[in-house]
Amino acid sequence: MSQKIKEYVQKLLTEGKIKGFLGLREENGHIMPHLFCDPKELDVLSLGDWKKSGDTRYPLNQLMIRLTMEYPEETFAVLVRGCDERGVKELFKWKQLAEDKVVLIGIGCPDKLAKACECEKPFPDSLIDGPQGTKAENEKVASIDKMDLQERFKFWEAEFNRCIKCLGCRNVCPMCFCNECSLEEDQLVGTGEVPPANPTFHLARAIHMVGRCIDCGLCEEACPADIPLRTLYKKVAEIISKEFGYKTGFSVDEKSPFNIIEVK
Amino acid sequence: MTFLKKLMEISGIHPERVRTRWVSSAEAVEFVHEVSEFAEDIKKLGPNPLKVKAREAA
Repeated sequence: MSQKIKEYVQKLLTEGKIKGFLGLREENGHIMPHLFCDPKELDVLSLGDWKKSGDTRYPLNQLMIRLTMEYPEETFAVLVRGCDERGVKELFKWKQLAEDKVVLIGIGCPDKLAKACECEKPFPDSLIDGPQGTKAENEKVASIDKMDLQERFKFWEAEFNRCIKCLGCRNVCPMCFCNECSLEEDQLVGTGEVPPANPTFHLARAIHMVGRCIDCGLCEEACPADIPLRTLYKKVAEIISKEFGYKTGFSVDEKSPFNIIEVK
Repeated sequence: MTFLKKLMEISGIHPERVRTRWVSSAEAVEFVHEVSEFAEDIKKLGPNPLKVKAREAA
């Protein structure tokens, strides 16, 4: 728990600048999302550090979208790490959140967590508390780059074959906001078989992650089959950055190459 | 296309298995040339690893 963040949010709430603060709370040994509307509640505020730093995370941005749909006139604050903030920036561009209705409360991740995530930018611009960590190296992606075509094919075939099509990767994804999903399209990915069409299922999702995946890694955490999804989407992000010069979630003005919605 | 080819490359499918060309309906010679060339190249690459797997399973 951070005193700085607590005081900052307390001030916003008492001054009436925000209607509520979407963060995490710790109670009875569990960490869960919570909308703080009363400054007195803030004693149970948690930053998602349970046994170690950042081991309990939730797709708060996903809840944020639903919250602002219900209360479009109100302003809310949300707890963000570096990845979450990249997500919020993309959601502004995809018109899922309104820039003037969202206040960001940023926390930085310690180097150890950044390294485990192989995060490109482990701190948000709206940093209020926590370290301003350094960029971590992308070792998992590099290990796949080293393989030749046949090895890669074998590697991914084995990984994707463990898929039980629970759709957990999609459901937890803070950037998956579509009402209709290609993955449920019978023509594209046939129903009634497990593992789902390999590699169509995972590559279809990978394509849809272009300009959306902000590398939070919740998909990989949610996956019961431990498929290294994060590595796959990291690679997707790398292609987009190398071939199209676009870095997902790094700016609010620049449009993704696959986005047809006008930015501003 | 650029993206799709790269994605195939990561997943271990030869990127030359997909190709896009723009040929007008008035350019028959051009069309034949492109298709024959593609067929030749694809033969050199051999059977698609995805299809091979399906055949082995059957």
